Amino acid sequence: MGKPKIGIYGLTGCAGDQLNILNCEDELLKLFDIFEIKSFVMASREKDENVQLDVAFVEGSVSTEKDLEELLAIRKKSKILVAIGHCAIYGGVQAMFRGGEEWIERYKRVYGRENAVTLSKPLEPKPLSAYVKVDAVLHGCPIEKEPFLKLAGKLAHGVIPRTPDYPVCAECRWKENECLLLKGQICLGPLTNAGCGAICPSLNIGCIGCWGPIREENWASEADLLVEKGYDIDEIVTRFSVFGGTERAQKLEQFLRSRKEKGNG
Amino acid sequence: MDKHIFIEPLARVEGHGGIEVYIENDMVKEVKFEIFEGPRLFEQLVVGKDPQEAVAIASRICAICFVSHTLAEIRAIERALDVKVGRKIHLLRKLAHYGEMIESHSLHYYLLALPDYFGYPDAIAMIRQFPDEVIGGLELKKFGNKVMEIVAGRRIHGENLQVGGIGKIPTDEELEWIKLRAMELIPTIERGIQFWNEVDVPDYLEEETIFISVWPEDGTYDFRADTIYVSTGETYAADDYQTALNERVVPHSFAKRCRYKGKPYSVGALARILNMRDRLDGLAADYFKKLYNERWHKNPHFNNIAQAIEILYCLEHIPKLVDEIKATPLEESTRGRDTGAGTGLVEAPRGLLIHHTEMENGRVKYADYLVPTAQNLDDAEKYMRNAVKNLLKQGVQDLELPLEMIARAYDPCISCSVHLVKVIKK
Ligand code: SF4
Ligand code: SF4
Repeated sequence: MGKPKIGIYGLTGCAGDQLNILNCEDELLKLFDIFEIKSFVMASREKDENVQLDVAFVEGSVSTEKDLEELLAIRKKSKILVAIGHCAIYGGVQAMFRGGEEWIERYKRVYGRENAVTLSKPLEPKPLSAYVKVDAVLHGCPIEKEPFLKLAGKLAHGVIPRTPDYPVCAECRWKENECLLLKGQICLGPLTNAGCGAICPSLNIGCIGCWGPIREENWASEADLLVEKGYDIDEIVTRFSVFGGTERAQKLEQFLRSRKEKGNG
Repeated sequence: MDKHIFIEPLARVEGHGGIEVYIENDMVKEVKFEIFEGPRLFEQLVVGKDPQEAVAIASRICAICFVSHTLAEIRAIERALDVKVGRKIHLLRKLAHYGEMIESHSLHYYLLALPDYFGYPDAIAMIRQFPDEVIGGLELKKFGNKVMEIVAGRRIHGENLQVGGIGKIPTDEELEWIKLRAMELIPTIERGIQFWNEVDVPDYLEEETIFISVWPEDGTYDFRADTIYVSTGETYAADDYQTALNERVVPHSFAKRCRYKGKPYSVGALARILNMRDRLDGLAADYFKKLYNERWHKNPHFNNIAQAIEILYCLEHIPKLVDEIKATPLEESTRGRDTGAGTGLVEAPRGLLIHHTEMENGRVKYADYLVPTAQNLDDAEKYMRNAVKNLLKQGVQDLELPLEMIARAYDPCISCSVHLVKVIKK
């Protein structure tokens, strides 16, 4: 078997996940050695889009028709498609819907009218999974170096790894941090996917949720923690919506209110 | 001869862009620098958010200059809420900013720009012929990243820099490490600067232009100020940025465009170094004097070497900065009000960056961001048009690479440029 063929792509986002791949300064040469990199436009002028790929890493949200066409073409030629980073997995901050306001209204307020830019039709920003099958995800905003290298290593051996399914709080406990919620500081650790190593709480800063929300099925005990500590529900929901999207934020709000009532009753 | 050139996607830039040229009867009909990156509407996303959330969101505009976006947003909010922070915090912010300049400039100079001048598709391919340069570039980049990790919390989107202060102050050991490593790396960047002598700088595009940058009030070469300076001699207060720099929408770009008195202009390392050249000192000033000539005013290719000189400037200034940080005690910050408006000016690696934020009861009510790449797009198109015109005259057929090199000389940050969108106030 030859080297696995891979492609690294970016749709609409800040390019942070691709940049963190380029930030593997010590491992970059090795990476170019283990894999046959067929496309990495951010790093090289040389590319070949006509080959089948073993793995495609895709960053960014689908935000224009062009993004969508590109994504469909990538899916078609790739055995494994990995969504890298919050934008690709959840839609990014640009998918933060705001209080029922239509996205296109927001767009028009900025550009004047719907067809002011004729380049490619803008679409409401969505994650990759809204359009194609995603085989694996790598959380983060941006993804971190070590988890990426680990994932790449596993994929090189044909293994599709699973992502952790517990909140940032767990990592905070491992680090023996003093809980910020106990100190009266709002922190989304209980509701956010682990993986970053609780970076922000370790700096005395409340988690803002950038690794994306944990699965709704796991909310119950975590949400109780927030309710128990008496945090303002609106404040939690506004903060949660930054990286959680409105739909989930609305659900969370209902959920927190019902928990609170139960608690008081 | 009629011809249609379409370069897409533009490689080795950050984000999704392209260049389109129409030639009719051997005449350039149209040159378009296209921005495909989808709109993300950042100025609306921050509305209703508190300072920590707004800063975190603004950071996501761009990975490669997140420190600049973070600092511009912090500055805007601190002016809006009349927040006063002590000197130690300012100095730490400056150190993070230096880290970003070093990282971003070394990524661009060594890995994204130089390969073109020597006929390579990327830096990895260039390594066989120029191992010292490529490895040196990676070392500098790594150092810049490490500074951001220590001071800003992460290499990308670190949350340690906050309105009113900082999450955690770096330890003395970390600061000492930064100081020593900066001194060690000075010979590396000196070699990188000397390498520019090997570069054959194309001259088929030259034309004078206007350069715009910040104008630090304390007379130093710095990356933040409350004043804008135009190379034609005018200055503007930060809050008057809209009068000075006009924005408009064009159909071939999700990024809005800017002009100064109807004319295209450039921002970035070249603009800074030309506007503030009398403020350079140390080795950076020596190298500048050695390499500078009149062509710098007419040719964006010199932005690359201007970046390299700025890396040296930052490395030379880090030891003093670290000593001062260590010697300065932390003061409590104060906040004067909950409602107000403020403008934050900083120099991002790619040039002048402006965040204007209005706050109401401690939350964002309105925001307007003006980013470097969108300011450069019109000027980049002007130089591309010049290049096509002159190269056609010389009978050159292969226009793709020369055009790409001009675009890349601006180090375009395409994700940023899309947010150069202004909310129309109702
Ligand atoms: S997930 Fe975060 S780091 Fe990655 S592209 Fe989106 S905004 Fe940037
Ligand atoms: S602690 Fe939260 S906000 Fe900070 S990096 Fe981790 S997930 Fe992101």
